[in-house]
Amino acid sequence: MLKNKIKDNVVSFALIFPSSLFLILFIFSPIVYSIILSTQRYRLGFKMRKFIGLKNYATLFNSPEFWDSLRITAIYTIFVVVISILLGLLLSVLISQRKKTGMMWQITFFLPVAATMAAMAIVWRFILDDNFGFLNNLLRAFGGTGRDWLRNTDTALGATILINIWANAGYAMVFFIAGLLNIPDELYQAAALDGSNRLQNFRYISWPLLSPSTLFITVIMTVRALTSFDTIKVMTNGGPNKSTQILSLLLYQEAFQFFNIGYASSIAVVYFVLVLMLALAQMKFDKRVYYQ
Amino acid sequence: MKKRNLWDILSTAFLCSLGVFTLFPFFLMIITSFKDSHEIIASGLNVFPRVPILRNYATVFGKTYIARYLLNGVIVVVFVLIGQLLVNIPAAYAFAKRNFPFKKTLFLCILAALVFPRYIAAIPNFLLLSKFRLIDTYAALILPSIASPFCIFLMRQYILTIPEVFFEAARVEGCGIPRILLTILIPMIKPAIGSFTIFSIVTHWNDFFWPLIVINSQKMFTPPAGIVFFADAEGASDWGAVMAAALLTVAPLIALFLANRRQFITSLTNTGLKG
Repeated sequence: MLKNKIKDNVVSFALIFPSSLFLILFIFSPIVYSIILSTQRYRLGFKMRKFIGLKNYATLFNSPEFWDSLRITAIYTIFVVVISILLGLLLSVLISQRKKTGMMWQITFFLPVAATMAAMAIVWRFILDDNFGFLNNLLRAFGGTGRDWLRNTDTALGATILINIWANAGYAMVFFIAGLLNIPDELYQAAALDGSNRLQNFRYISWPLLSPSTLFITVIMTVRALTSFDTIKVMTNGGPNKSTQILSLLLYQEAFQFFNIGYASSIAVVYFVLVLMLALAQMKFDKRVYYQ
Repeated sequence: MKKRNLWDILSTAFLCSLGVFTLFPFFLMIITSFKDSHEIIASGLNVFPRVPILRNYATVFGKTYIARYLLNGVIVVVFVLIGQLLVNIPAAYAFAKRNFPFKKTLFLCILAALVFPRYIAAIPNFLLLSKFRLIDTYAALILPSIASPFCIFLMRQYILTIPEVFFEAARVEGCGIPRILLTILIPMIKPAIGSFTIFSIVTHWNDFFWPLIVINSQKMFTPPAGIVFFADAEGASDWGAVMAAALLTVAPLIALFLANRRQFITSLTNTGLKG
């Protein structure tokens, strides 16, 4: 009996061994190592490497660049998340009423989600180009003046926000459509008998019953926006004058352009804590995703 | 027939204008890729080419390693997927259907790993791959992605729904674990494998961050890194060729999406928490 039990456990551990090896190698030990690195003065290519305690964090929290980056990340995230969700919600309500053309609209708005963002960011660079871009041509045709949208500190962040809303609204939409499908039709039929109009239907039926989806979508979109990198890296590379330098870009530059490994690791740890706090908030509010 | 009222007209107008805005970049990319570069500069608002040309595609294939980028993309996507399934399905099975010491704790670790942002592991992984002289190789692009807590999680959730009797019967007949996995489990979790496949292909074909870090030489670029390199090197001088390269990068996934619309949308919504 005991021998059987041991054999059973050996089989179980053999089953989880390969995946554990990969997880430990590429996810768990890197996290521990990042924390260790963040307490060192360590620059790739330099011999000197030593323990300096929390000095990297002190430097980080005293650096205006970090606070600027955090502020830009917050502005960027809030605008992208709120507008994408509102648009996605509006689209889902309009589309779910259309039985015949619904799928066509879904495909249309979902298309950016399937597209390679690095490549589409190049297309947007072309549209927003100072000299030959479609947007400036359009403005000039109507008597306005064009601007260099991506190289102007007033407009660059707004442009990257707009493009990420373009990329994400369809993603929010499909979640809301799934949520709306779960609301029984009888509720709307009963409301119709009472003479409820569209706005009241939305206010008193759809909106409250969608609230679990809304929370879930908000968290997903926030994590997505907080960790976005591709479009901004390609369109502005953090510029002009660091006006679009979100946290992921700051980390990338410190780590892989200046090879400031120790300092960059402290940014990574701060990043990690931010995202983890969000995830914990999600687990607290939304148990259904994790435990079944 | 229902009478068309103001609401219908307004909502259709809204959908159409937003639809145009959504599709316009795709439309412009396609149309510009068939346009002569002098015409692109001179034609202003008239986005259509006078005579569609294929020269931009010749330029892309002549000036860049685009064929190689696409091949690299396919190699990475295929081996990452195979690796992920091979390594993680047995673990998912163990977590769903077997009992062993520390099972709960280990699974909690996997749940936690689901939400870790990739940036936390990027620096140590880069250092590790450098140490083993793997920078600029397929291994650098593939190996770190095989670690997929999400694959374990998704498969385990699906395997939980399979009734115990199927596995019990196989055990009684003396089937070993490998045979149970291959002949019973795999056929039964095909829908989950399908969902995960789409998710994995989209994620790794589109990935721009990791190739940027571990690849130095042009020939090893995947399509997103390759197109950005080409666009930065060409600058604004040859938008036609740049759009052709962008189209070649985007087209495979768009084609896959249009061919499996419904499954694509369900897959990416089911897998949302790892978006």
